Amino acid sequence: MKHIVGVADMKTSNRPEDSILTYSLGSCIGLIIYDPVAKAGGMLHYMLPDSSIDKDKAKTKPLMFADTGIPMLFKETYTLGAKKTRLKVFIAGGAQILDQKGFFNIGKRNYMALKKMMFRNNVLINQQIVGGQVNRTVRLEIATGDIYLKTSGGPEEKI
Amino acid sequence: MTAIQILLKEIKNLKPIPAVVHQLLNVVNKPDSSMSDIAKIIQYDPAITASVLRTCNAAYFGLKHPAESIKDAVNLLGIDQIIDLVLLKSGAKVLSGKHKGYGLQEGAMWKFSVSSAIIAKQIAKELELGQENAIFTAALLKDIGKTILDRFILNSFHKISDLVTHENLSFMEAEKKIIGVDHAELGGMIAKIWKFSPKMVKIIRNHHLKDIAQAKDKDVAVVYLADCICMMLGMGGNADGLAYRFHEDAMNLLGISADDITKIIVSFTCQMQEVEDLLHVV
Repeated sequence: MKHIVGVADMKTSNRPEDSILTYSLGSCIGLIIYDPVAKAGGMLHYMLPDSSIDKDKAKTKPLMFADTGIPMLFKETYTLGAKKTRLKVFIAGGAQILDQKGFFNIGKRNYMALKKMMFRNNVLINQQIVGGQVNRTVRLEIATGDIYLKTSGGPEEKI
Repeated sequence: MTAIQILLKEIKNLKPIPAVVHQLLNVVNKPDSSMSDIAKIIQYDPAITASVLRTCNAAYFGLKHPAESIKDAVNLLGIDQIIDLVLLKSGAKVLSGKHKGYGLQEGAMWKFSVSSAIIAKQIAKELELGQENAIFTAALLKDIGKTILDRFILNSFHKISDLVTHENLSFMEAEKKIIGVDHAELGGMIAKIWKFSPKMVKIIRNHHLKDIAQAKDKDVAVVYLADCICMMLGMGGNADGLAYRFHEDAMNLLGISADDITKIIVSFTCQMQEVEDLLHVV
């Protein structure tokens, strides 16, 4: 079954027939984690780096933010048998408009928030395809852990 | 025929925007206009009336008793909601469908346009700019030029993409260089032919702020900002992606900080489900 991850949303699975997909990441980040032994994984599509901007909204939509969404993705994937030490981590998105710099560069801030969090928790990022001025669509196959990426105007390719 | 001549011919063949839009925008901006003036204007267009009533009575709005007239609808849902619906209905025909050149699937341009309009109106309200309905309509129709330019993009995509990748041009600058006209310019021409107010023509023509001096007009800058936010959220761009220019000066002129942008994104995300539902009923 194909599970579609919307914006501020996540999906996890350990069913081999499943695939998880998110469309059109702009400055948002698509974070994929996968345990090849448990054959369990998940995907989060978040749009902002830090929930402190609106604590109330973060309670109703925690998957909108990196700091509240990422722990939820990990915890839910652990319940499917995944182990932190075996996880493969892939990131896509974090694009920016031309000349979008500093604090206005939300794509980059989204990426930095994630990187910081992974570093602090000793999680290695295996692969990342981030930045630039392109939209990205990513798909994870649960049976194999294969990841497919489609970039603005191009065909879908296996990573 | 040159590309420009072909484009101008295609503009003339484009289905015109319903007259009710002009009348409505004229009346809503007058301080002394009443609800019944507005209802009267809508009622003169039977097709729009029928379609607005059908939408109001869709499960989405959850009305206990169906609206049988525009007056009912105004009483039940409020004048603001009805004006938005009429404007959305008028834009739906020209913006729906696929746009292969820009790599947009069925409905993607429509979703982007409606989202831009909602965000622009919200910012205009917060900044107390007045003119909210004109801003809403201009944001809704700002990419109308893309619907005509689409076929040309399809034929020239590799040349345009090359300029974007290797010469650091924005997608729009590359459109201009390869085709001779860009989608914002073309949108301005269409708006003029449709007899939109000079203000609306100006907003549509400058929605990417090719000339940064135009940002002094806050109405233009607000629509530009709404467009940027939608791009960041991954909407509307596929072949062109986010390859447009960001102007921090425009944010400064509006008095908008990066935190403000973040808050707008939060608030829009929280109403996204409603927007999705609205897209299906309009």
